[in-house]
Parts: sequence; C-alpha cells; structure tokens
Amino acid sequence: MESLLVRICIEAATESAAAVEKWRRQKRTLERMPSHLSEALLRHLLQRRLLFPSLLEVFKYSIEEIDLRGESCVDAEWMAYLGAFQYLRSMILADCHRINNSALWNITGMTNLKEVDLSRCSKITDAGIGHLLSVPALEKLCISETGVTADGVAALASLTNLLILDLGGLPVTDSAMSSLQALTKLQHLDLWGSEVSNEGAVLLKMFPSLSFLNLAWTSVTNLPNLSSLAYLNMSNCTIRSLFEGVGHKARMKEVMLSGAAITDVSEAFRYVETSRLHFLDLSYSSHQSFSFLRSMNALTDLNLSDSALTDESVEHIACIGTNIRYLNLSNTKVSSDGIGALFGHVPNLKTLLLSGTPIDDTAVSYISMMPSLKVINLSRTNVKGLIHQEGDSPHDVSSFSALKNLSHLEKLELEEVNITDAALFPLMNLDKLIYLSLRSVSLTDASLYHISSAPKLIHLGVRDAVLTDGGLDSFIPPPAMEILDIRGCWLLTKDVILRFCHNHPQVDVRHELAEALDKRNFHYSSPSRGTMRTSQQKHKQGKLSVSPHRSDDIFLDQRLRYTREELLALQFSSAAFSTSTHYQGN
Amino acid sequence: MKKEDTVKLISAEGFEFVIDKKAAMVSQTIRNMLTSPGSFAETEHGEVTFPEINTTILEKICQYFYWSLQYASGKETEFHIEPELTLELMMAANYLHT
Repeated sequence: MESLLVRICIEAATESAAAVEKWRRQKRTLERMPSHLSEALLRHLLQRRLLFPSLLEVFKYSIEEIDLRGESCVDAEWMAYLGAFQYLRSMILADCHRINNSALWNITGMTNLKEVDLSRCSKITDAGIGHLLSVPALEKLCISETGVTADGVAALASLTNLLILDLGGLPVTDSAMSSLQALTKLQHLDLWGSEVSNEGAVLLKMFPSLSFLNLAWTSVTNLPNLSSLAYLNMSNCTIRSLFEGVGHKARMKEVMLSGAAITDVSEAFRYVETSRLHFLDLSYSSHQSFSFLRSMNALTDLNLSDSALTDESVEHIACIGTNIRYLNLSNTKVSSDGIGALFGHVPNLKTLLLSGTPIDDTAVSYISMMPSLKVINLSRTNVKGLIHQEGDSPHDVSSFSALKNLSHLEKLELEEVNITDAALFPLMNLDKLIYLSLRSVSLTDASLYHISSAPKLIHLGVRDAVLTDGGLDSFIPPPAMEILDIRGCWLLTKDVILRFCHNHPQVDVRHELAEALDKRNFHYSSPSRGTMRTSQQKHKQGKLSVSPHRSDDIFLDQRLRYTREELLALQFSSAAFSTSTHYQGN
Repeated sequence: MKKEDTVKLISAEGFEFVIDKKAAMVSQTIRNMLTSPGSFAETEHGEVTFPEINTTILEKICQYFYWSLQYASGKETEFHIEPELTLELMMAANYLHT
C-alpha cells in the first residue's frame, strides 16, 4: 500500500532509538502528517520496540486509529497519553493485560472515539464500564472475556449508537438482555458462552437491524424469527427450532452449528430460508439425516467433518454440488463409493478435505476428474498411491499419476498414509503444486530427490521419513522453496542440517535439531513477537553485556531431554510461576 | 541533453532542479502532470513547482528518482536517508506517489 520511498523513510526513522531522537522534536511536521503515514510510523515503532509512553505525545494530533493488541507493556501511563489523542476513532487494546479500570478512566470524554476493543483485558470490571459510558459516540465495543458482570452489561444500554457489541464469555443474563433493548441500532451481537436462555432469545426480536448473532455455548434451544438476520452461530447448543413464528423469514447467508445437538434436523431447518445460504458448518453433529441439504442450492462452503455422514447421504451433496467450492468431509465414514457419487456433480469444487476417511486409491481416480480442485487433503486414509493390477502384470500402477489432470492443484496433504517412494514419482509432474506435505516412515531419500523437480513448490513436508545425511546433502531445493519440514527424520545429524541451512539460506528448515540452531542465531529484527520480547529483555540488560549463564547449551531443544509427562509438568510450573510474578507486579 | 527530455522541478524556496524526464516519471503525480491531456503549464514548459517541498527534500527526492531507476534495473544498493529528513521526505513521497 505504501510506496517504496515511504517504506524506506519509515525504516530509516525507526532504525534505532537515536534515529527517533533526531526527528521527535519536529513537532509541526508531525502535527500535519496525514494519519495513514503517522499510523504506519507508529506501527513500526511498536514492532521495533521503540515506542514508549511519552513518545506517544508527538502523535497526538495525527493518529485516528491505534492497534495495541497483545502489548503487555500498555498500562495506565500509556492510556494517559492516548486519552489526549484528539482525533482518535478506533482504539484496540485486546489482550493488553495491564489495562485496568483506572487506566480506562483516561478515555472519558474522547468525543471522536467510535471503536473500543478491550477483549480479554481481565482486569476490566463493571467500574470500567462506567468510564466507557461517557463516550456517547461509541459504535463498536468488544468486552469479551473481561471481568464485567451482568450489571455492567445492563449499564451499556445508554450507548445507543452501538452497532457492534461483543459480549462473548460474559455472564449476560436474560434480565441484562432486556435492559439492552434500548440499543435499537445494533447489527452485530456476540453472546457466546453467556447465561442467556430461551426467554432472553425472545428479546432479540427487539433489534430490528440485527444481522449477526452468536449464541454458541448457550442454553438457547428455540430461536425466534429474526427477520434481519444473515449470520448465525449456535455451535455447541441444543437446537429444537430456528425462526419459528410469523412474519418475513430471515435470508440466511452463513450458519455455524458445529457440535450442536439438533433434535430433529429437518424440523429445525423447516423455517430457515436457505435460498441465499452459502456457508454451512455442521461439523461434530450427530444427526443421521442429510436430506435437508437438498434445498440449499446456493451453498459454496460446506463443512460436515466429524459428522455421521455416510456414503448413502452423499447424494444429497451431489444434488446441490454446482456451486460448492469448499467441502470438508474429514473424519466421516465416506468411502471411495461416496466420492464416486460426488464426481461429475461438483464442477466448481476447489477444496476437498477427506482426512481420516476410509477412502482408498479408487477415490483418487474420481478426485482427479474434479476439474477445479486446488486443495486436497488425503491424510490418514487408506490411500496407498498404487493400484494393484489384475492378472499377471508384474507392476502396480500409480494412482497419483491421474492427478496430473488437475491443472489447478496447489496443495496436497498426504500425511500418515502408507505410501512408498515409487507411488510419489508422478507428483513431480504437478507443475502448479506449491504445498506438499508427506509423513510416512516408509519414505526415503528417493522421495526427496523426485520432489526436487517440482518447479513451484514453496512448502515441502517430509516428516518421520528415513532421510539420510547423504540424501539431504544432495537435495537441491526447488527455486521457490521457503519451508522444508523434516521433523521426525531421526537419522539426520546436526552438522548436515546446519550445512543445508547455510547453503540454502532462503529455506526455513523445520527439524528438532534446526530449531535449536534457530534460537541460537536469532537477531532482533525478527518479526515474531516471542523473539522480540526476548530481545527487549536483552536490551534491558544493556546492549553489550552478555549475561554469564547465556551459554549455547541452554538453547538445546528440551524435548530431546524430557519425556512428554515431564514437559507438561514443567509447562504447568512455569505458568504458575509467571502468574504469581504477574500479580506481584501489580 | 535535449530540452524535451528534461523537466525542471522548483522547490518552495525557488531552487530549480533539472532532471531527466524519465527519472521524474518515477513519481506517479509528476507523470500525471506531464502527460495529462490539455495544455497545463506543466505539460507545456516541462516545469513543476512544489510550494510545499523545501530544497533539501526536493534534492533528496531527485536523488531517489535516479536511485529508483537503478534499483529497477537490478542494481541493489541502499538508499540512505538521514533520520532528520525522514518525516518531511515521507510526506513528500506520499504526495508524489513515489
């Protein structure tokens, strides 16, 4: 988005604390800077760990949106400066654990503020809500998983301009719901995990513009007819009826019912207007009948993973297959016969996920006749890659050679299937393939050698294979390759992996031994947040001093030394330790 | 160098920088000024005045145009910017779409 010179300027301005000192007194320039430039500058300062509360002052007149999510350093002092940002429209403080009620006091009277995100700031309670009430223009408020109670939620009723309200994980009761009826502009309401019951659900009719509703993990069983609704999430609920009642029926676009217990699925869907429904998630549901799918002609995304779907029900999917682009049938009982019933009916299917199903190589030949496929997952199936020839033909035929018909295929996952090197040979003819992940103890160096001729490959996983040092040494990665995942290849030695990393610096090697190497060589411009935290601590210790215990050995992968149980125990004890210090700090 | 192949960029203080038209075209804004139909003064005389950009920054901008041409042709060198100039230069770059 930013032009090249703007990017170079930002890089130069945020190169070091000394560079910042050179420009931070240019007040007049900073005041008239367009907001998108100062926001980009501020983002970079934050990434480089160069931002501190008093530096925020220089952005007072130019910043309109600020995103500090996950920054554990943000506290009341930061908020005191942010409170003076005259033109601030959006303030995102999600996961800023140091934000408490008194820190929030600073936002009182910020008349331009329209969006506040305090998700998972667990120290915010009802008293903090009191401060929010003085920001009357507020349109979007997220306070999920904070310490706010039903009383605090009821108090939100005075923020009548609210359009989006996220109350996920809060103990919202039916009586709190009835107080919220004043929020007539509400379009988006998140109530997952709340104490709202059917009585509270009836009150939802009071929001005439409501189009998004999340009631996952609640005890709501009967949802009244909400004519403006388009997106519904009732995952993990017990559902008896949806939209029963008089009036114009909601034209649903997306419905998520993952893990929902549906008493009678045909009955539940009876009043649902599905002519525009394009996204349906029914994963982890236990009902047996799928005939209700027949009316859902507009579906593009269908997730039936971990459901009771069988071959017999696949015909219902085939009926409405014309528009389907994403189909997830993972961990169902669908076999090759089911895939056979599907082929020919899904001309636009781009993603087909079949991991954990009992399909075999016959399914591969059906799949290779689905012309639009881009992404296929065949992990943990009975696919072997070889079809045994009848009669006296001495050689088995590779089933993967049919995949070359799929001219758009970009991603193929074949983990934990019983395949051999020979079966993989045809995969090198897939010239669009950018992601291939294999995991099998019967693969050897030969697979690595074949694959190196796949021209577009970016991500290659060959996990748990019998790769040898010699094999890795002679492996020439395809030019585009960025990631080589060889975790669990236990024969490889550290020296060879190190040499490979050195010879191919563009490739990010993932291996138990390589991870140890990585951590030792980290440098602080790395984008990963975890690394930056470490580097910040290093800064505190003083730039040049290296603490005496910082020997190379401490970065060895600890998984090599401990058993799984011991590691879990360690993880627990360190978590307990960090929480205790956390509280001491405050 | 023929006159048609050059453009004159004039800073807020009135300093004039004569540079290759090809280099100036690195800026989308200047390109639009020089190629837009109709007879704008800029198109006719090959002169553009920037009352908002001071001389130091405009000089740096001109250096950048030439560096950018080299960079595009595959010569990867670093374009150094003094920290004092970063803010002003950033705003000029934003205005010039470069």
